[in-house]
Parts: sequence; structure tokens; C-alpha cells
Amino acid sequence: MWLQVRLSEVCLFLQAMFTLACCFSDMESGPIATSGSVQPNGDRFKIEGRAIVPGVKTQDWISSARVTVEGEEYIGFLRTDGSFVVNDVPSGSYVVEVISPGYKFEAVRVDITSKGKMRARLVNFIKTSEVIRQPYPLQLRSSGPHTYFMKRETWGWTDFLMNPMVMMMVLPLLIIVLLPKVVNTNDPEMRKEMEQSMNMLNPNPELPDVSEFMTKLFSGSKSSSSKAVGGSKYQNITCTQGPPRSFFIRLYNSFLSRGFPSSEIQVCK
Amino acid sequence: MYKSTSLFVIFLSLFVVSEAVFEDQVGKFDWRQQYVGKTLFAHFDSHSQTSKKLFLATDKNIFASFNSRTGDLFWRHVDKAGPEGAIDILLLHGQDALMVVGDGRLLRSWDTNMGGLNWEAVLDTGSFQAACFVAIQDTVKHLAVLKNAAISLHYLTNGHQKWVENLPDRDTVQYQAVYSGGEEEIYVLGVVPNSHLTIIAYSLEDGEIIKQRSVEAPWLSSVESSCVVVGQGMLMCVDPGTLALYTLPIQSLDLEVSPGFQPVLVSSQPHPARSPISEFFLQLGPHHHVLLQLNGDGYTIAPLRDFQPAFLVSFATTGEKTVAAVMTPKNETVSVQKVNNSCFFFFFKNMSQSYLKSKCMCSYSVLLSDVFPPQLYVHAFLKKDDSVGYRVLVQTQDHALTFIQQPGTHTDTGTYTQTLERTHRHWNVHTDTGTYTQTLERTHRHWNVHTDTGTYTQTLERTHRHWNACKPKNTIPTVKHGGGSIMLWGCFAAGGTGLFGIDSKSGSILWKHYLENVQPNAVFKLIVQRTTAHFPHPPQCTLLIKDKDTGLASLHVFNPIFGRKSHIALPVLPRPILQSLLLPVIDQDYAKVLLLVDDQYKVTAFPSTKNVLQQLQEMASSIFFYLVRSDQGNLSGFRLRKDLSTERIWEVVLPTDVQKIVAVNGKRPNEHVHSQGRVMGDRSVLYKYLNPNLLAVVTESTDTHPERAFVGMFLVDGVTGRIIHEAVQRKARGPVHFVHSENWVVVSSSCCKATVVVVVEATVVVVVEATVVVVVEATVVVVVEATHHIYLYRNSKYFFLKVGLPSGAILSLPKMFLDPRRPEVVTEHSREENLIPYAPEMPIRTEWFINYNQTVLRVKGIYTAPSGLESTCLVVAYGLDIYQTRVYPSKQFDVLKDDYDYVLISSVLFALFFATMISKRLAQVKLLNRAWR
Repeated sequence: MWLQVRLSEVCLFLQAMFTLACCFSDMESGPIATSGSVQPNGDRFKIEGRAIVPGVKTQDWISSARVTVEGEEYIGFLRTDGSFVVNDVPSGSYVVEVISPGYKFEAVRVDITSKGKMRARLVNFIKTSEVIRQPYPLQLRSSGPHTYFMKRETWGWTDFLMNPMVMMMVLPLLIIVLLPKVVNTNDPEMRKEMEQSMNMLNPNPELPDVSEFMTKLFSGSKSSSSKAVGGSKYQNITCTQGPPRSFFIRLYNSFLSRGFPSSEIQVCK
Repeated sequence: MYKSTSLFVIFLSLFVVSEAVFEDQVGKFDWRQQYVGKTLFAHFDSHSQTSKKLFLATDKNIFASFNSRTGDLFWRHVDKAGPEGAIDILLLHGQDALMVVGDGRLLRSWDTNMGGLNWEAVLDTGSFQAACFVAIQDTVKHLAVLKNAAISLHYLTNGHQKWVENLPDRDTVQYQAVYSGGEEEIYVLGVVPNSHLTIIAYSLEDGEIIKQRSVEAPWLSSVESSCVVVGQGMLMCVDPGTLALYTLPIQSLDLEVSPGFQPVLVSSQPHPARSPISEFFLQLGPHHHVLLQLNGDGYTIAPLRDFQPAFLVSFATTGEKTVAAVMTPKNETVSVQKVNNSCFFFFFKNMSQSYLKSKCMCSYSVLLSDVFPPQLYVHAFLKKDDSVGYRVLVQTQDHALTFIQQPGTHTDTGTYTQTLERTHRHWNVHTDTGTYTQTLERTHRHWNVHTDTGTYTQTLERTHRHWNACKPKNTIPTVKHGGGSIMLWGCFAAGGTGLFGIDSKSGSILWKHYLENVQPNAVFKLIVQRTTAHFPHPPQCTLLIKDKDTGLASLHVFNPIFGRKSHIALPVLPRPILQSLLLPVIDQDYAKVLLLVDDQYKVTAFPSTKNVLQQLQEMASSIFFYLVRSDQGNLSGFRLRKDLSTERIWEVVLPTDVQKIVAVNGKRPNEHVHSQGRVMGDRSVLYKYLNPNLLAVVTESTDTHPERAFVGMFLVDGVTGRIIHEAVQRKARGPVHFVHSENWVVVSSSCCKATVVVVVEATVVVVVEATVVVVVEATVVVVVEATHHIYLYRNSKYFFLKVGLPSGAILSLPKMFLDPRRPEVVTEHSREENLIPYAPEMPIRTEWFINYNQTVLRVKGIYTAPSGLESTCLVVAYGLDIYQTRVYPSKQFDVLKDDYDYVLISSVLFALFFATMISKRLAQVKLLNRAWR
């Protein structure tokens, strides 16, 4: 029993030691207090790294790029191979950025302890103490060119076809043009039905022509009443109990018949 | 949460659409001019014969490469501003350019071909004195750098130090020059002023002192300014006191030095592996040079030719041929003369006329014919064929560079056959807001206009009708001019002040003139007194020039369209001027009245006609102004009396041991408030606190410790002196930038490793019998990148903030992101008010950069002005570069789109027309048929 207590005590002690050690090690590599007053004789360090733009030759972009540390506090320039060194930096915590008008680079925060230990981590302006480690010497890989521009709206077939107005126009047209072909089989029953419907379509040889119909439609109040009649006819059509396949034809017929309100159609008989 | 984010995204997309540039608009409405500053060192790329490169190091800490044929910038590297990035020397060797930076802090080697760095080495401490290449057996492998206490030798390939040696007796001897003539020794020259000259020879291999000599030279004070090495290692010194050249008295050569002039020697060392040429120039007067030759015996000097007048002289060498270029202002054509086998003379006579007339740059001839000839630098260059060609770079006093090239085939005839010239204006812009606030700090003076509300609103309308695009706050008001507009740009060049009229459409300089007798430390203010709207009266601008030290001011009145000086009688200003204010009062000639307050608080009016004085007497009781004395932390308000004296009404003292006043900002006098309030979600109205006399005062703590530092902000009523609001941002420090408009102030400062933007908005909540309760709301937004400047521009509907980022981008930030009423939790009401949910971090998107990749470095100010079109604003950003563009914050609703399809619309129109015709015809036929049936 005593041993057990003792053991647990030892365990606790060890744990405490461990956490303490952790704290210390963290302290060592952690950011030092960023006292803005830099001693004039304080040690100066250098921040090293390399910037890479995948797929682009270094000579195409390095002449317009530069490395800034904490705004323009310290400035470094890129070597011909893309690496850089910023000299003469006292200890502290700095945001290191590669600034290029052509390519995007992520900024990195670099902490330098008073002993010269370096650490790189992600920049977080809200939680400045958060540590997400980055490799050091810095490896800054460009995520591609900057997107400065908006795209112009270009005229494309898909945009045109997906326009609701166009769809409203095109779909009925498709029905008119394609449906007869779909149903135009060699099925005698079907043909019979078709003939019947065609007959019904043209029961009156003195069918008024389109222009006259249009004038009628726009001129008088007759049209509205006739439309109502058409609507009721539609009701009639659906009430019939034909084979399911012929339903479409009837629908199609009725669609056509709605265009000719003067003609009498009796489908349900 | 999801809803809030989606809403956020919607707003983002909304503004992305409204504030980005289309790719095909690149260069259509915008232009950028890149500058480098005043040239300190210039080198032609002599590496290959066909090279067009020209390398410059400037006083703006820029190392740049130009195309010498066209003047286009290949690349430039901008180092840190100030002495830490200053370029001490630029040496060119083959493809590598060697540079010592920051008073001997760093040694850099550049690959001039790619524009990248080869290496960078940290030098030991000590102030830089001189540097030279060291060659052994015709190959240059080392660079010797002389500092005041040590000399070090560096390898050219990697910058490593070969050896470093401390200099003996460095407390007494001033070491000033280093010389290597291709032998195994490096000579260091030091001087004890007026006592003796010390010459130390170091071994190239290990830095051991081989020889040390001291020469009695009681007349010598500086090696740098009066000694050169000529011929086979002969040191040639000139003594201004007894007018002696080395040991030979000048008089024996029958030469006379102009009184009060320090004679200067010019020599040339073509290659570090060889000794300098034996010919050298001696400058005896400002415009008097003599070409001398050291004879083979090393003791006698023969004068070769006397040049008087001659502005500038220079040597250039290619292969075995050396050219001496002399620039003379004679009225003759260019002549070239053979002297001996190795020397050519090549004079630019009639520089002032033939070269200037070809471009009609009147300002040059003004410059030349006036008091002073320009201080010029000449760099000559020879082609690498048998004939000799010249490329000359001339720098004039306004920091412009002119490149002149003459084809080398007709050197004997010497006719000025072809002059390729290209000017680059390099301006020091000293007349911007940045310096202005500095001036405020130092001289404690500021200006503003304060009239009371009644007259203010009345005149506001009037000003808006007539003043389309003028605002005197900054130094670049734009004045409408036909289709485009003219920007006025006050500039400061080395010897005088230049005033430029720039076309805002193309950026070309329409006119310019130089102002005389302006002190280098003067501050400027440009005031537009009359616009183009009052025909036949010409538009009128006034430049107020004030000496920073004495405070004495002078006025310069001119026509901004043509740049002509106006002949109006100017008031005499015997006393220092504290404040200037432009009143909305106009005289019978429609010129606005400018009031100048001197240090006895007496007011001078300009123009001061009877009419104006009468008007001033009538409205004197409603004219208020304020003065700032930042050394005493004193802000005081004054009122004008009828006899044009003033009385102090109020005073606010901010104790200077805690904080100092950094900037004071009133409202723009011509600001137009579009809505008096905003409708809340519950249908009530929140009225804005629109006091036109409100001053925003920003202070910084004197304690700079990051934990205790703070930035304070006060809102002060300019008429009563009441402090309406005060706010403190803890742990913040400058530089502070802020914008004050309508009922809000945006202050940016750096705090806790990030830039913090504080937004303050004042609203009136209760109005009970003239008791106004002002409620101020504030919020803090963190901006990811450190902002340089926040400037505001607005169009009719939206506010946008213009932010200059250190990367050179100009960000257009919708004011909506800086609304202090952004809620943390989205409610029904806040959604109706179009409020974005609060986020502590400000997103910065590259689509919002109005200058896309046309970066403007070291932004000093952004100026915006409304244009004639309601939708359009003109934006000018200036710093190292000048960038001008147009922006359409709410799209171009009053202009047809750029990609408007004229072909489609006209073809549809024609098709419809023809369709009607055809159908009409068909209908006719049909009717006819019907009738026949």
C-alpha cells in the first residue's frame, strides 16, 4: 500500500517534471517577448529561405520580386536561383513575405530568439500566439499568378441554351418537330389513330389561314372565350381512357387544336 | 452561421463585381510612370558591344537597369528608404555590378543580365570610405573596401573575405582613398589634415604592410576632393591655398583659378589592371577646365588645351582609345579633334541650343539662359569597332536624364547628324501630404476653413456647381480642361522648385516652369481659386510657398491650363504665415478668397478688393479657424473680427508629456452629404452627426514602449471647442493614417504585430430643444497587411477607401467592411440594413487592387477627384511612381459598356427593318390574292 502511494507520487513527480521540461523546451523555441527596443549592440541574425514559382524560370520573375520583413523594416533580394537571405535582423518576431507583382506567396512568421534560434510558423493575425510550424529555412512555394482581373461575360452556346427564355421557346418546338417522328412507327393501330387525329385536325376544308387567325386573335375578345373553350377541351381529352402510349398523341393533337379554336374536335367519342 | 457566411459571400461577390478591372481594360484608362530618383552613379554596360543596358544607382536607394536606346526600365530594385539602404558606390565588372549599401553595411553583387542577386555579404562595422577593384595579371578577382578603420579584400565570385586588416594610427589619420594599379600591392591613402599624407602599401596575398610612407603636406586637407592618381602611379594633388598642383605651381602653367573656387582634378583609370592614363583635367572655375598631360618623366606637366567655357568634362575608354568629352555652351556645332593616337576630343558645343531646340523644351533654355547652367554629369561610351561612337548621359538639375548618341562613322566632320534623345524626369516629390504633416509637427501650423453652418451650406451648393474637380487640400488639384483634366504637380528639384501641368489622360507633361528663390526646405500648398467655369476669366491657381524655418511665405499665381504666370498684384507678406484658408466667398471676378493668418493673428485677404473686404466684414462673425501647436499640445480656435483681426475663442491643451498631436483633420470643405441618416431594420432612422466644423485630432503617446504606447483620437467641435468624443487604442503605435468624412473617422495604426483599423461613427440619437446627444460607435478591424495610407474617395452612392499597401498595390476597400454596426450575430434587422456580420480580420483580395500589377512603391499619397461623369472618379497615387486611373465604384451606369456589341445591335436592327419590309410586301400580295378569290 505504501509502495503504491509512493509509486503514484513518483509518477506524479515525473509527470510534473516532464511537463516542466516540455515548458522549458517550448520556451526555448517559442517566440521571445517582442520588446521593440532593440539594443544597439544586440546580435544580428539572418533569415534564410527560398522562393519557388513552379513552372516558371527564375529569371522571369526575380527581377521584380523582393523579400520584405515586417513591412519594409528589412528588405532582402532574391538570388538568381530563387533563394534569399535577409541580413542584419535583430531577434524578434517578424512577418516575412515575398512580394512579386506576378505571383502569389503566402506570408510566414519567423521568430528569432535572442540566442539566434529560428522558427517559422503560419501567420495568424488574430491569435498571434498560435503555432503551426513551417519548415526553416523557409520554403515559399508560389500558389500561382495573382488574379487581378474579372472575367468578361463571353457569349457561349451553353449560356445561350440554358437561358430560361430560350428553353421556353425551344422545348415546345422540339415537341412539335420530334414527337411525330417518335410516334411514326409502322404500328397499324398507331397509324390508324394518327389518321383519325389528322382527320380530326383537318375536318374543315375551309380552315382559315394563319394570317387571318392572327388578326382575329389580336382584334377581338373572341379569342379569350375561344381559349377557354380550348381549355375545357383539354379536360375532355384527358378523361378518355385510351392506351397510355396514345396519350401523348392526344396531347399533341390537343395542343394543335388549341391553335384553331374555330374547329370542333371531339376526341372522346 | 451558415446563413451569415453565405450572406458574407454574397456581399463579397457583389463588390468584386463592382470594383475590379477587366483584363482588356489594361492600360486603357490608367497609366503609370516609374521613377528612380536622382542619379548618383551611372554605368553603361560595356560587356558586349550591342548591349543596350544602362545601370543607375540613385539617391532613392534604387538600383535600376534602363534600356539606353529607349529609356525604358528593364528592372529596378528598391531598397529600404533612408540611410540604411543608401548606395555608397556602384562598380561594374563584366556582368556583375558591385554595390556597397548602407554606409558599408552590406556588399552586394548583382547579375545585371537577369536582375537577380549573385550574393550578399555583411561587412564589418565602420563607415565606408572607398572601394576599388583589384586585378592581378589583367584579371579582376578582388574588391578592396576601405572603411575608416579597416581595409578588407573580397572575392568577386562569392563575396567571401580574403583578408581584413586594421589600419594603423586610425585615430589621427583619415583614410580616404584606395588605389590599385594592377600590381601586387594595394595603396591606401590617408591624410592628417594640414599636416601630412600617409601612404600604405598592402600585399595582395595576405594583407601585410609592405611599405608605409608619410609625405609632408601641410596644405592638404582632403585626399578625396583634391587628389587623383595619374599616369604611372603618380599622385596628383591640387592645393587651393597656394594654387599649386602637386609640386608644380599652377602659375608656371599660366593658369588662373577663379577666386573662391576649389580646383578639382578629373582623371580616369580605364581598367583596374592598368595604371590610369596620363591625361587629366583640372577644373579652375565653375566653367573653366584645362586638359593637362603628365609627361613620361613623371615630373613635368604640359597643358594640352584650355576649355572655357566648359560645363562638364569626362573620360571614356574603349580598347586603346580614350575619349575626353567636354560639354561647352558655345554657339558652334560639334567638333571633334584628333590630338594624338590615343586621345580624341569630342565637344558638345551648342548644347543648349541644338539639342534643346530639337525638342522645344523651353524650360531648358530658361534654365540655361537664366541664373545657373545645369549641373550635368556626362558618361561617354565608345563602340567596339574601329570608329568611335558616343553615348552620353546628361543629368540636369531637375534630375532628368538625357541620352545622346552619335553614330561613330563621321567623327571628323563632326556634324550633329543624329541625336537620339529620351528624357526621364526624376522628381523628388516634396509637396505631398506626408511632408505636410511633418511640417505640421515641426512648425506647428495648419490651416483650415471654418465658417458656420448657415453660410457653409449655402456656399457649398455654389461651390459644387462651379467646382467640378477642384479641391485645395492636397497639392494635386485637378482642373477640368476640355475632355481630359490637368493635374497640377508641385515638385522640388535640386536647385529650384518645378511646377508641372500633367495631362491626366496620358501622363504627359503639358507645361512646366521652375520657380526661383525657393528654399530647399520649403513647403507648398496649391489652391484653386477659380475654375474654367467663368469664361472669359481664365482659371486661376495659387501656389503658396512657405519657408519651413522662417515661416515667411510667398504667392505664385498662374493659369493652370497653360501654366502662364498671372499679372495680378500680390499682397505683401512681411510676417510668417501660420495658416491659410480658402473661403467660399468670391469676388466680382469669381475668384475665391484666400485668407492668410500671420503670427500676430492678423488676416490678409487675397484678392483684397473692396467688394471682398465688404463681404468679409459682413460674414466675419461666422468665419472660424483653428491653429495647432504640437510642441505645446495646443489646439486653439479663432474667430475673425470685422477689422480682419482675430479673437481666440477656445483652447484645448493635450499635455505634451503624455501624448503629442500627430495630425488634425477637418472635413473636406466641398463634401456633399447625400443622406442625412440611414434607415434601421425597425424602420426608425438613425441620423448622422454631420457637423461641418468637426475636427478629428490624432495623438500618439510619447512613451514608445510597445506595452504602454497608445494612439488617441479626439473629436473636437471647431466652433465651440467641445470635445465630443475621445478614444484610445492601446498598445498601438504609428504611423497613423486616418480619414475623416461625413460622420465617421477611420484611423489605422499598427498594434500587436498587425495593422489595426479603428472606425468611429457618430450619430445623433436624441435631439431635445437643441440639445444634441452624440452617440459614438467604434469597432476594430484587423487588416492583414500593414497599410501605408488610407485615403478616401467616393462617388455618388458608395464610399470606398483607398489603401496603399507596402507591396505597391492600391486597394479599393468598400466602406461597408468598416461599418461599426456590423453585428456579431445576424438578426433579421441587421440583414435588412445590409450589414455584414463582424469578422475581426479584413479580407484582402487581389481583385480589389485597382492598379493590378502596376505597383506603386513607397506610396506617399492617394488623391481622388470626381470627374464630369457621375459614375467615374479619377485616382492618382504617388510616391516613387505616379499611377493614374479611373474607377467606377458602382459600375459605369452612365456610359456604354466597353464590350458593347455595336455589330450585333445594328445587324438586329437592320434585320428587323428588312423583315418588316418583306412581310409588308407579302401581306400586300396575300390581300390581293384574297381580293381576286
